[in-house]
Amino acid sequence: MTGASARPGAGPDWRPAWLPEINLKRREEIAAWLFLTPFLIFFAVFIGRAMFAAVQMSFYDWHALRPSRPFVSFENYEELLRDDVFWFALKNTIVFTAMTVAGTTVVALAAALAVTQPVRQANFFRVLLYMPSLFSVGAVGLIWVWLLNSQFGVINYGLSFFGIRPVNWLGDPALVLPALSLTTIWWAFGFPMLIFIAGLQGIPEHLYEAARIDGANGRQLFFNITLPLLRPTILFVTVTGVIGHFQVYGQPFIMTNGGPGRSSYTVIFYFYHTAWASFRMGYGAAVAVALAVIMAVVTVVQFLVISRRVEY
Amino acid sequence: MALMHRRRAWQNRFWAYLVLVALSLFVFLPMLVVISQSLMTNMEVTRWPPQIVPVHPTLFNYNDVLTRQDLRLDLWLRNSMVAATGHTLAVLVICAPAAYAFARLRFRGSNALFAILLLTIMIPSQVTLIPNYLLMRDLKWLDSFNALIFPGAANVFGVFLLRQFFMQIPQELEEAAVMDGAGYLRRFTQIVLPLSSNALTALAIFVFLGHYNDLFWPFIVTNSLETRTLPVGLTILNSAYGMQYRPMVLAGAVLSTIPILIVYIIFQRRIIQGVTLTGGMGGR
Repeated sequence: MTGASARPGAGPDWRPAWLPEINLKRREEIAAWLFLTPFLIFFAVFIGRAMFAAVQMSFYDWHALRPSRPFVSFENYEELLRDDVFWFALKNTIVFTAMTVAGTTVVALAAALAVTQPVRQANFFRVLLYMPSLFSVGAVGLIWVWLLNSQFGVINYGLSFFGIRPVNWLGDPALVLPALSLTTIWWAFGFPMLIFIAGLQGIPEHLYEAARIDGANGRQLFFNITLPLLRPTILFVTVTGVIGHFQVYGQPFIMTNGGPGRSSYTVIFYFYHTAWASFRMGYGAAVAVALAVIMAVVTVVQFLVISRRVEY
Repeated sequence: MALMHRRRAWQNRFWAYLVLVALSLFVFLPMLVVISQSLMTNMEVTRWPPQIVPVHPTLFNYNDVLTRQDLRLDLWLRNSMVAATGHTLAVLVICAPAAYAFARLRFRGSNALFAILLLTIMIPSQVTLIPNYLLMRDLKWLDSFNALIFPGAANVFGVFLLRQFFMQIPQELEEAAVMDGAGYLRRFTQIVLPLSSNALTALAIFVFLGHYNDLFWPFIVTNSLETRTLPVGLTILNSAYGMQYRPMVLAGAVLSTIPILIVYIIFQRRIIQGVTLTGGMGGR
């Protein structure tokens, strides 16, 4: 990077005689590209090339174990549209994502509202409540698959005090997604909580004071000041939540293996199976590209829905 | 009026404590139950009603999970540590100079290039997985640290974050160095980097944690028992022993979180602040 270390004021002695004089602007430009080079090499290989390759592969019948890889044009995508398993997995993923994002947002907002009140040990609560977010999905799955166990699980034990008979959380097609969602809320609400805390601290206190003088009660303060002013934060939390939880696979992978039947089978799980269990790399690439398109559409729709209601 | 205010403030605080205590129980009880049951025998755990407090606490399960021939928690932990550390260093070394170029240096195509990078953040990482897996296979990098460290080292979000931070550093500080004859490399390494330790640490912590906890990529690029990482190892532990030896599986889960908790206790303030600073690396 010697070419980059232009040293104005250091005299001409740093430059070998055979090297032509470079003006300052040109020097800055060369320096910039030298600074960028390592990043651009990695970006080009692992992101740029990979994205192009994925789109390209999705037009081929690319099977990992077969030498011939015929071009099939849009056949992978046509198959995807007719693929019941894919649509079923997509439906599961949407249901799971909706429940989980709604749950984490509500729990995180409640936690953030409580922790920003003048309570003692606010920092202790913040640190404690964020703790599960640091665990790996492996640890979370191992913990909750046991807590939710229908025979010996502590959750069923707790419910038995309320006269509720043992529930087969992970074995009942109707309950498995809510159960995985509960697991995920426990795991992931810490991040939106911290974002909400930052958002709440950004609301000027004098707005509340003014409203209180006008005789507003707590509920009115929340719905007329807090919630409207938190709208950008809510948008951020729900958009990142949807993007993050749409890619769920670890929880069902560890806790249910997609079951019972296919009740907790998700899109990424299906993606994994097509490419690494059935070795259909071309079809798997088509699934990944479809996922990217779906997530782009969902994100745009979310922006439109939430930003349309801003009338302040 | 003042009395009413005080009562309202008291009411608010009452609800706040109620919510906080309820949520703390929601977060803490599962951990407590798991730690407690990892100290029990298999007989005690498979009993109704379930035991919450062990009658004769034993570390047998911890010993068992660490010494079984078909489990290598020690190696998995080492692999996770080495890979996450290597990956974090790679991200910092690669992304910081790029961020400096975008923040401070004028060059043709700067805005267009930055816009392209930002666009790729929107595209889910799964799109790149198959081609990158095939590349690892062709490079004979499967089952090696290279496969865990280098793909993903061009962290676009990291560049974005550091660029924002570098731009806040007063330009005058660098200009003073220019007077002393400092070139771009010295301005970067001796002025900008030392002033950015907050952003660099936050980025490093979240890149490390994200990588340490990742499951999908290590799962597909490692195959042998010795090269697995900890999260992958946990799934192996669960599927091999989840049915018969639940306390041992719980002991494995507890052990796997200890390094994370140590990092958390040391860096808790930085981590909590870093989440807001980094937007949680665009995820959890």
